Amino acid sequence: MLTVEGTRTRRARVPGNPSPVQQTPSRKSGFRKVLGFTWVLPALLTLGVFVYLPLVQNFGFSFLEWDIYSGSQTFVGGDNYAKLINDPIFWSALGNNVLYAAVSIVFQVCAALVLAAIIESVRRERWRRALRAVYFVPSAISLTVAGLLFYFIYEPNLGLLNFILKNVGFGALAQPWLGQESTAMMSVIAMSQWQGFGYSTLLFAVAIQRIPSELYEAAAIDGIGTIRRFFTVTVPLVREMTGLMTIVTISGAFQVFNEVMVMTSGGPNNSTQVLGTWLYRSGFVRNDFGYAAAIAMVIFLVTLVIALVQLWITHRRRVEW
Amino acid sequence: MQRRNSLAAAALLMVSALGLSGCAGQSSTAVADVGAEPEFSGSLSILTKFAGEPLQPYFEDLAAEYKELHPEVEIELIQETDQSIKDKTKTLTASGALPDIYFSWTGDWAENFVGGGLAADLTNVIAPGTEWGDTFGQASLDAFKYNDKYYGIPLYNNGKFMGYNKTAFEEAGVEVPTSFEELIESCQPLREAGYEPIAFGNKDGWPGLHYLQQLFAYNVPAEVLQADFAPETAELNHEGYVAALEQFKTLVDECTDSGEGTNGVLYTTAQEALAGGSAAMYYQEILEFDTVTADGNALTPENFGIFKLPVPAGAEGDPEAIEGSPEGYLINAKSPRAALAVDFMKFVTAPENAATLSSPPYGQPSAVVGAVTPETSSEVVHAGIDQVNNASQVVVWLDTVTVPEVADAWLAGGEAIISGSSTPEQVLESVRNASNAAK
Repeated sequence: MLTVEGTRTRRARVPGNPSPVQQTPSRKSGFRKVLGFTWVLPALLTLGVFVYLPLVQNFGFSFLEWDIYSGSQTFVGGDNYAKLINDPIFWSALGNNVLYAAVSIVFQVCAALVLAAIIESVRRERWRRALRAVYFVPSAISLTVAGLLFYFIYEPNLGLLNFILKNVGFGALAQPWLGQESTAMMSVIAMSQWQGFGYSTLLFAVAIQRIPSELYEAAAIDGIGTIRRFFTVTVPLVREMTGLMTIVTISGAFQVFNEVMVMTSGGPNNSTQVLGTWLYRSGFVRNDFGYAAAIAMVIFLVTLVIALVQLWITHRRRVEW
Repeated sequence: MQRRNSLAAAALLMVSALGLSGCAGQSSTAVADVGAEPEFSGSLSILTKFAGEPLQPYFEDLAAEYKELHPEVEIELIQETDQSIKDKTKTLTASGALPDIYFSWTGDWAENFVGGGLAADLTNVIAPGTEWGDTFGQASLDAFKYNDKYYGIPLYNNGKFMGYNKTAFEEAGVEVPTSFEELIESCQPLREAGYEPIAFGNKDGWPGLHYLQQLFAYNVPAEVLQADFAPETAELNHEGYVAALEQFKTLVDECTDSGEGTNGVLYTTAQEALAGGSAAMYYQEILEFDTVTADGNALTPENFGIFKLPVPAGAEGDPEAIEGSPEGYLINAKSPRAALAVDFMKFVTAPENAATLSSPPYGQPSAVVGAVTPETSSEVVHAGIDQVNNASQVVVWLDTVTVPEVADAWLAGGEAIISGSSTPEQVLESVRNASNAAK
């Protein structure tokens, strides 16, 4: 088939050759292209209407002052972005997202990698499986349910955490965890780490399993201890997964919403606002939809940059061994 | 991944709401003819604030009865809770999908719909002097009056009172306080008797605003207070605000067990503390009276009493004012079934249905004259409404009476006062800034 087409192509290159022979393959391939395009058209349309059109629309709305009641839309140029720069709650929310990302990297990347290495070093397969399951269970719970669960754990009067602290002699440490500005954000972040830790650990465990056992055996023969083995064998060979997890974790930290809404709604006194909840509050509580659209654009830009970095990392040459 | 989905959903919700507005929101230009003869066919959509027990069956039963009378009419109920209806209403508004009949608070909340041309002018059918209008108390109708026109159908009246456990008071040897200072003094004996003096949960922020609004009414002269609700006329520099914020902080610190952690406690947890018999007092709406004394609760109707939040000594405001307001329903100005919607609401507010609404287990004191009587309602609901009716003025909830930016600043300020992170002066300054920005 290839030979035939190749012959035809060669013929077509001869000057003065009759055109009917030339047109047959190009018409055929053109038809194939059109046919192929029709197959992907529904997906392209769906993607365009439900992903890219709203993005473009949202960008447009970020330049408007819009009254949802009257429907009046006034072009205000970059006012919403200027307001954003001068809004202390926006900066506080952004700071909370950065804090969220920093803590998440410590727990969901660094600590998860260490835990995965420990689990994978357990000799008995049965115990390994059991430990993986134990750490993964919180990840199977929805964020909303986990948020509600921790809301009750943190409850100042009836909550489990204060109850335990009081009954093991650390009553002085009992706090209104979600009720005061100094502890609310870290309490929400702590819940989130509990929920996401197992998932990261599992992914690292899978990455560690792909490392050839010969490398560990060679290290053992050379008399390398466990900790050095971790840094000289495990860490370099899960580099790809570490990079990916770092990007995914940071990206997730800038999109956090559910746990904050369920546990604190951004309070007290806006101390737990993150970009997602401040967007929601600006739009749906303060009726400032143009401003909310501007916040949405900031979230979009931040996550877009992170996504591009992620793409760059995943397209880099993989580690071979 | 779930986190991403959640935010994506929120963003999509907003973007969709905004996007849809372009094609659906303002497409209908028809103006409702509420006085026309209704055509008893088609589907009538209604957004209520009656989700959850014990309220949910009320509108469901009414819809079923109305359908029996008019078999060609379909009724689509969208029932939301007090917490969720704000988001739902705004989403439906932004997407141009407001139902034919929808719930509304009074004050700035309803004014937004009126100003946006989304609420039908009901003056011809419900103004005082009309057949339907004369079935309501005039104050209730006036609560939905804007630019000398009547827009709302007040369904029930509401007010805020301190509910107390009579047994707890007897055990502690305290009397019903007659001043704010006596209220604070009563807390220690109640605590010694084994009760949490005042159960208070402010996780959602608005319960704190209810205390503040009543204290503002006591401490700030009425005309100053009213002027300060509107950013255009607001000055927010009366010393009564700081006094009220200080009184609120004293109450939280001296009388609640949760104290600075009150922001971490659910409103319903506080409600259960009174109903379960562990708390001596709890600041609540009339709508909750029958709930806290429902069958199965430790607090019985006989042991339950109410009193107005006592007035602080030397307060410069109106000691007879009471916080509350009727709550009701608006009819979509663009509804093609506006006349049918009016007919349905006339059915809802008919005397027998109004009496049912005012009775246990619903306990929502109807705005219809004569519906709340000692025979139809529980003793405390009747007593509460009587006090509301006799108040010198009813001050609307702080989170609905003013513009959202200012309400939001009060909300954050109330939380900051409770947690002790801001002084009253700092809170007032932040509210003043929000009000100036909203001008």
